[in-house]
Amino acid sequence: MDTLLQSLGGYVWLWVIAAAFGGVLWGILGGALPGISPSIAMALLLPFTVGLPPMIGIVLLASVYVGAEYGGSIPAILIRTPGTNAASATVIDGYEMAKQGKAGEALGISLMSGLVGGLFGLVVLVLATESLAKVALAFTPAAYFSLGVLGLSVIASLSGGTVLKGLIAACLGLMIAFIGSDPVSGVSRFTFGSADLLDGVKPIIIMVGLFAVTEMLVQIGEPAWAKADKISSSLKLPDWAMTKRLFRPQAIGAAVGTFEGVTPGAGGTVAAFMAYSESKRWSKHPEEYGRGSPEGVAAPEAANNVVTATALVPLLSLGIPGSNSAAILMGGFLIHGLQPGPMLFTKAPDIVYGLYGGLLVANIAMLLIGLVILNPCIWLVNRPKPYLIAGILALVMTGVYALHQSVFDIAITLAVGVLGYAMRLLRIPILPMVLGLVLGYMVESNYRRSLLISGGEHSIFITDGVSAGLLGLSLALAVYTGIKEFTERKSKK
Amino acid sequence: MNIPERSSNLITGCVGLIFSLVYIRFASGIEDSLLADEVGASGVPLAIGGLMALVSALLLFKAFIQKPAPVLPSDAKQDPDPDAPQNPHRLALGLLLILAGYLVLLPWLGYVLAIGLLSASVAWFAGGRESKVLLGFALFTGPLLWFLFDFALKVKMPVGIWLSLFAG
Repeated sequence: MDTLLQSLGGYVWLWVIAAAFGGVLWGILGGALPGISPSIAMALLLPFTVGLPPMIGIVLLASVYVGAEYGGSIPAILIRTPGTNAASATVIDGYEMAKQGKAGEALGISLMSGLVGGLFGLVVLVLATESLAKVALAFTPAAYFSLGVLGLSVIASLSGGTVLKGLIAACLGLMIAFIGSDPVSGVSRFTFGSADLLDGVKPIIIMVGLFAVTEMLVQIGEPAWAKADKISSSLKLPDWAMTKRLFRPQAIGAAVGTFEGVTPGAGGTVAAFMAYSESKRWSKHPEEYGRGSPEGVAAPEAANNVVTATALVPLLSLGIPGSNSAAILMGGFLIHGLQPGPMLFTKAPDIVYGLYGGLLVANIAMLLIGLVILNPCIWLVNRPKPYLIAGILALVMTGVYALHQSVFDIAITLAVGVLGYAMRLLRIPILPMVLGLVLGYMVESNYRRSLLISGGEHSIFITDGVSAGLLGLSLALAVYTGIKEFTERKSKK
Repeated sequence: MNIPERSSNLITGCVGLIFSLVYIRFASGIEDSLLADEVGASGVPLAIGGLMALVSALLLFKAFIQKPAPVLPSDAKQDPDPDAPQNPHRLALGLLLILAGYLVLLPWLGYVLAIGLLSASVAWFAGGRESKVLLGFALFTGPLLWFLFDFALKVKMPVGIWLSLFAG
């Protein structure tokens, strides 16, 4: 603790504050622009950190991560375009609230839940890094496969009462995830000779097509859309009653985010969807989810912001970057001759504790910057709809191109937009598709790796303790959901 | 956007079944390399294709045993909504054609011009009729997005044929 206090003393603190504010602002901008992922926003600043003192450079990069994960929720709520993969779950109820004229309230809930999540994650990072690192080490390929299955077990609750259609959508998502090089042998699959497909299809391209392009195609033909009511004109932070109401979903989000964050490879997207689903499962009003529920915004936002801190657990304690963003942050350490891992805490404690302090400031900066920029954002989406729709499409087309500087990506986005339009016509839920897309690679690659390890014995999924526990949990949750839905249907009759 | 549930199930089941069978056909054509494991590159896709076929068949079965929703006399005689556009699908198709036009023109016109043109044409198509505002909007959107992505975020946007014209 003394080292922590020492690292916060002196004029260095001023630079840490400046780096945290600057990083969060840059991150929010990157996160809010579709096509600029948190890792790209961080990578763009990486060269600038070379000339900075190590602590300042690392705080700058970590703050970009915090800002970007939060920033993704702003376009998700206002224009149904998730700025980041993890913000996709926020679209569900955030955009519904915006349509009901409660955009200011949804943004306030997202901001406060992000802050709660970020601060909770920081506490976990400071107090439990050592013990949580053991969790990361316990994860074998079999356990990762079962973690993916646990993620997929929420399909039923994301299907909106149409489980068969939800399953079809999930299969479609998995099929898209299989496009590209085979994770084990490297053989091309479903690329049809196209070099653009060899690396697979990035989930964000599909999500932008499914959410944003589809919404614009629907909006253009909506009756009376040109004279739709204006959405609430100012940011509204949750009052005491709302804060109490949000406690449970935020707690669920924090718990799920902690678990997913410390597990390398799981990440904020899976955490956000699982938090959404679990929050709905344990809610007193699950029927409100998907129709503009404040809890439906709070749970995923808390979860993906917890991950910004807990994803650093395997990086700092084991030297394992669990995500692209963590890998860029690791690059920031390496540039300054620091090797993340167990020795970091003894060799450079000032850097580690400086990072903790910087993350604290970054979360406060997120709140303050959010308070300043959200009202202008709401003003922007209250512009006349013809210009709003044109502006959204211009931003989306630019963001998608920016991913790989490829016109092919724009073509995929448009095709997925048409698919989303057809799915909406046929009332096929799109969230299971997103889940299949995000989890497809994880499930397949770890299933096959597990079988390689076990020599083809499927019993590995049961003999591995963590895997067995996760599979048991998936089964229990699926059975619980089934019984709950059956009871509810019976009581309705 | 209202398709009766039975028809929706029928269409989804049919399309899902056909798609999954075509998918299985392609998946079974995937060749394994010498590095292939027991499951192989086609194993999991085949299983998912099979699952989709099974679920689609179940949905079709559900649609067949479902009773068609009765048509109420009041439904047939409903007055048309005066605010409703004549055909929302046609409007969606129109918007899609504009976006496809952007896709084709982007490499030729370059980013700033193409995105300006896209913004103005979408705004016009969506009901913006003031020509000065449309022009101002196009002139503002292109350079603003170029500044954000190309200048600030260092993402290289297409310059179009203009450079080659001047160079040639």
